[in-house]
Amino acid sequence: MYELTICHLYPDLLNLYGDRGNIIALTKRCEWRGIRVHSRPVSLGDRFSPDECDILFIGGGQDYEQSIIQDDLLKGKREAIKEAVEAGKVILAVCGGMQLLGRYYRTHDGKDIACIGAVDLWTHGSHDRLIGNLVFECDFLKKDGFDGLVVGFENHSGKTWMGPGVRPMGKVIAGFGNNGEDGFEGAVYKNTYCTYSHGSLLPKNPALADHLITLALKNRYTDFEALPPLDDSLEAAAREAMIRRLTGKQGSGR
Amino acid sequence: MKQRFKLLRFWAAVITAKCAIVILRLFKSGGTSLPGKLALKLYPQILDHLAGLFRVTMITGTNGKTTTSRIVLSMMEQKGLKVITNKSGANLSSGITTTLISALTLGGRPRFSHALLETDEAAFRTLAPRLKPETVIVTNFFRDQLDRYGELHTTVNNVREGISRIPDAVLILNADDSLCASLGRNAPNKVIYFGMGEGIYPESGASINSDAAFCIQCKSRYEYSSVTFGHLGHFRCPSCGYERPHTHVECSGILFYDSLGSHVEISGPDLRISVKLALPGLYNIYNALAGASFGLALGLDEKAIAAALSGFECGFGRMETIAIQDKELKMILVKNPTGFNQVLRYLLTQEKPFVLAFAINDRLADGTDISWLWDVDFEVLALMAERVRNFYVSGIRAEDMAVRLKYAGISTDRIRMEKDYRQLITRALQETGAGETCCILPTYTAMLDIRRILKKQFGLKEFWK
Repeated sequence: MYELTICHLYPDLLNLYGDRGNIIALTKRCEWRGIRVHSRPVSLGDRFSPDECDILFIGGGQDYEQSIIQDDLLKGKREAIKEAVEAGKVILAVCGGMQLLGRYYRTHDGKDIACIGAVDLWTHGSHDRLIGNLVFECDFLKKDGFDGLVVGFENHSGKTWMGPGVRPMGKVIAGFGNNGEDGFEGAVYKNTYCTYSHGSLLPKNPALADHLITLALKNRYTDFEALPPLDDSLEAAAREAMIRRLTGKQGSGR
Repeated sequence: MKQRFKLLRFWAAVITAKCAIVILRLFKSGGTSLPGKLALKLYPQILDHLAGLFRVTMITGTNGKTTTSRIVLSMMEQKGLKVITNKSGANLSSGITTTLISALTLGGRPRFSHALLETDEAAFRTLAPRLKPETVIVTNFFRDQLDRYGELHTTVNNVREGISRIPDAVLILNADDSLCASLGRNAPNKVIYFGMGEGIYPESGASINSDAAFCIQCKSRYEYSSVTFGHLGHFRCPSCGYERPHTHVECSGILFYDSLGSHVEISGPDLRISVKLALPGLYNIYNALAGASFGLALGLDEKAIAAALSGFECGFGRMETIAIQDKELKMILVKNPTGFNQVLRYLLTQEKPFVLAFAINDRLADGTDISWLWDVDFEVLALMAERVRNFYVSGIRAEDMAVRLKYAGISTDRIRMEKDYRQLITRALQETGAGETCCILPTYTAMLDIRRILKKQFGLKEFWK
């Protein structure tokens, strides 16, 4: 029997916008296939050890909560998280989580807040807020045999940019994406996936959820090949409805 | 001269708004904001002018505003006061202006002595200094529609700023809510705190998604000796010592509760009563406590407070029941995770089988972001799945709700999608057995749509009355 450990970073502080839906989706989609999941909250004062983690999830928090974790994160967990990223651990970081993995966050009055620096991306605060439903297209999901479209909801005032070693997660079809300017959404570095898309992201985008689970199982089990398919008709209906609404086009149904 | 011009403008604005109210009613529209908007356009200072004509009480906070208003109203009625209220949830400046204008004679004289105004928490900052209330009740603060209100602390600080400009107002605050209680700290105002007694709340709902686990003063993690739900409870900060204040009105015992209501003891230095609340849902005890605190501030005696508490109706759409032949249809508004969780807990008290329908919209008034559905503990539905005949999903985001139920462990063959509200009501009622209940849980705009259909089909009374 396969097993995976899913760590949720600061679940009591970084838990905006239904972030835990991503953990629920990963867990359920494993359980429905007989894969045992251990979920582990990693909060203030807890040690994070990359060796005991297959998937790490980092969500976003309100400014007040993010200010509480600042010290614990940078002094207690920064090195371990960098190590996990470099070792190719599967990581999903949403919204504030993506910003935290980057190098710094520059507030709109020009103050730089140091971040983890595990991924070569950075964020500049702005006065406009990028809010709304979002559809973007991911090539790596097309390679998995899907239509590659991912739906979600974004709500951020930070605008994120990335260096040459990092690829965007997808191309914006409808919505703003990382900065509302370059047409890209999210970032991928090794097995670390970052995005502004909540909504919650994974329940409605099962192809992406399965992509992450597959990577994690391949990391841990050399004999693992592929996940058996599930009946995703409800998920497909929810995803399709939003694709139709935002683009006027039909998705391929998967 | 200037004074006379002002009066003229006031009168012109009042007449215009009054005409608009009459016309809107002729067309059977419950429009509550347009007349006020017109009046504000014609005379931007009209609210300050209007406020001077009434003795004002304001109620704000995330959850329970409407129900608390109803209870406070029945307290005022015990005292024999003549009160105008904004009953239908018209709680922004335009709706409040409409309400106050409708309380004037054609000559611009007030027909009521008191105004009881439910106020949107985001609008409170600007409205409080203009309305100059004698009393302010703040029910609680929970995360709500982040796309509209922004961060929770911003909302709390907005209300704090509004309060700082009305130092003479009496504040009635929830002691169990560390965010709400903090409004009374260092404020020159007279404060009445209400709360739940230690350890008497039967279901502890401590949640990892707590909205305020960390001290608002020093950011240390609070310690709790007792939790009711969400972040409400007997909190104490081990580092700076900020703690739940002593209460003046406290629920000291829950003798009984079921799906129809509860029997509670309420006590404090100045009162001790035992009263049956005809309001289902334990969260409504908080609203009753807020109401009792107001009664105390008003100078009512124990008997009058108890009488007011035991005899009032539910607020508009928050929970209303209509009998349809031998079945009943219940509609309960849902708008944020904490409120939704309390509704689900309430459903646990249903003993008979029932049909459960969700109608989720994502229009502006509902919040365009529906991510919050993932913060609701739908997993508790598994505890009552046997009693639920079927699960219906409806509204613009019916598909999302279906996915949420699936991941909460509800078998997909029990989830029915029906986007047409008329069909939804027909199908859901068909599956409801004799003597059973069909529960519809809509978001705000879905509630308005469903209500319109219920009004036509079953003669539900119109909501502005």
